[in-house]
Amino acid sequence: MKTKRDQPDFGYLSKALNAGAGLASAAVIASFFLLSTVRAQDATKTDEMIRFEGYPGAPEVEVVPRKDELFFFPCDQCHASMEPNPEIRPLDTMHDTGIDHGRGRIWCLSCHDFEKRDYLRTLLGEPVDFDDAYIVCGGCHANRHKDWAFGVHGKRVANWAGTRTQYNCTHCHNAHSPAIPARPPKPPPPVRAGLKRERDADHGESSTNSTEQE
Amino acid sequence: MSDKADSKEEKNKFEMARRSFLRGIGMSAAATAATPAWGGQTFSDAFADFFQKHYQRMSAEEIEEALERIERKASLRYGVKIDCANTPPQEGVVFGYAINISRCQGYRDCVDACVKENNLGRDSQVQYIRVLQMDRGDTNLEHSEHYYDPAEVPVEGKYYMPVQCMQCDDPPCVKACPVEATWMEPDGVVVVDYDWCIGCRYCMTACPYWARHFNWTEPEIPAEEMNPDTHFLGNRPRPRGVVEKCHFCLQRTRKGRLPACQEACPTGARIFGNLLDPDSEIRYVLANKQVFRLKEDLGTEPKFWYYSD
Repeated sequence: MKTKRDQPDFGYLSKALNAGAGLASAAVIASFFLLSTVRAQDATKTDEMIRFEGYPGAPEVEVVPRKDELFFFPCDQCHASMEPNPEIRPLDTMHDTGIDHGRGRIWCLSCHDFEKRDYLRTLLGEPVDFDDAYIVCGGCHANRHKDWAFGVHGKRVANWAGTRTQYNCTHCHNAHSPAIPARPPKPPPPVRAGLKRERDADHGESSTNSTEQE
Repeated sequence: MSDKADSKEEKNKFEMARRSFLRGIGMSAAATAATPAWGGQTFSDAFADFFQKHYQRMSAEEIEEALERIERKASLRYGVKIDCANTPPQEGVVFGYAINISRCQGYRDCVDACVKENNLGRDSQVQYIRVLQMDRGDTNLEHSEHYYDPAEVPVEGKYYMPVQCMQCDDPPCVKACPVEATWMEPDGVVVVDYDWCIGCRYCMTACPYWARHFNWTEPEIPAEEMNPDTHFLGNRPRPRGVVEKCHFCLQRTRKGRLPACQEACPTGARIFGNLLDPDSEIRYVLANKQVFRLKEDLGTEPKFWYYSD
């Protein structure tokens, strides 16, 4: 189907995948074939690029571009002059990324392309534009990806009618630590004047830790 | 001796209460004096307001005049130039809402956005959305907690369920209104004619979802935070002493925009759309997810679904 490209040895990756999650990776790759992909016609993207064609019956979706918001992009600014190092290791220079994603099964080069530093890569090694990061995410998270393609996971931008514009996965999720972090809630509603907050009898203790409200 | 001290304390207490009471009277008198004549508008506007008809019985010109009066009154009352529209419902559109309760983290960002969008008083108790904190595995709304305020949400072992107006298709509040000041619009949104409402609050008791709120005070909003984009049946400045409710942000949604709560939600738990469009997200949710509605047994047919995945 696709011509095999010259690649550095990714044996370590398959080893890591096998060690960590042989089953998961099999499912992952199988699900990835379900994402029908086509060669890009877009002039701004190279011929090698794949683009997501969509699920049967899925609506046309415009995705909010992502590259403008990336701090280090383009990566080649630095990496053009650096020798690529395929050794699995924690990065402590520049990219201070403790990867809290995949429970140790993945590392930088699982998603970032080894040769073309300005691109992401699929599990099959095809380069993916940073604006199309959802293709990479969909490689593993097929269910979420399908929900997203139908507008049920993630967020639609601005309008419910007309052109469908959706945020990319990486707008809401930090790809290196994708769980949405806990944070303080906005203030609770005021208790009606003259009344006092009752303790929540059914929960034993009141589920608030704020000081007593008036 | 201790008796004496007690009685002295008692007397002091009484004195304090008496003073604060008198001070209260003085302040309310001052407030009354500070309120301009004719409820903060010109005599002719107050006169026209008095004879303003029910929204559904007004002609186009009469509505236009009413909108202008609202704009004039807002500029006098808040010092802000607002734009009050009367955008009609779109053809072939019935709005529906769905919330993914496995996404909701209880941040209350929706509540905050709603208060700002709908010009709700910053310190009044009127908030159209309540986020209920519930125990995992418990669906009894009686056990919910909506004043939760932990250092960080989500709390372990809890889930969060935002409740607002369900825009019932068979709304009990509409049946309860003795003056027909509330009704369902063709796009499925239950609205209130704030000028026609007499503030009897029958609808509040009829509503099983605590979605209707009585405004005891005129909202106190800083002029710079006033949302100038308003709708006659939506977020225009309301008179005091009427019942208000969520109206799916009519001022936005009738122009194709999304409600403020959907836009504010940082987790993407909220899905809004047209129920009559088979390609809409909301229809995908209804067709592909396990959905439920609150108090479905009451037969109010809410157009507001909850699901988890």
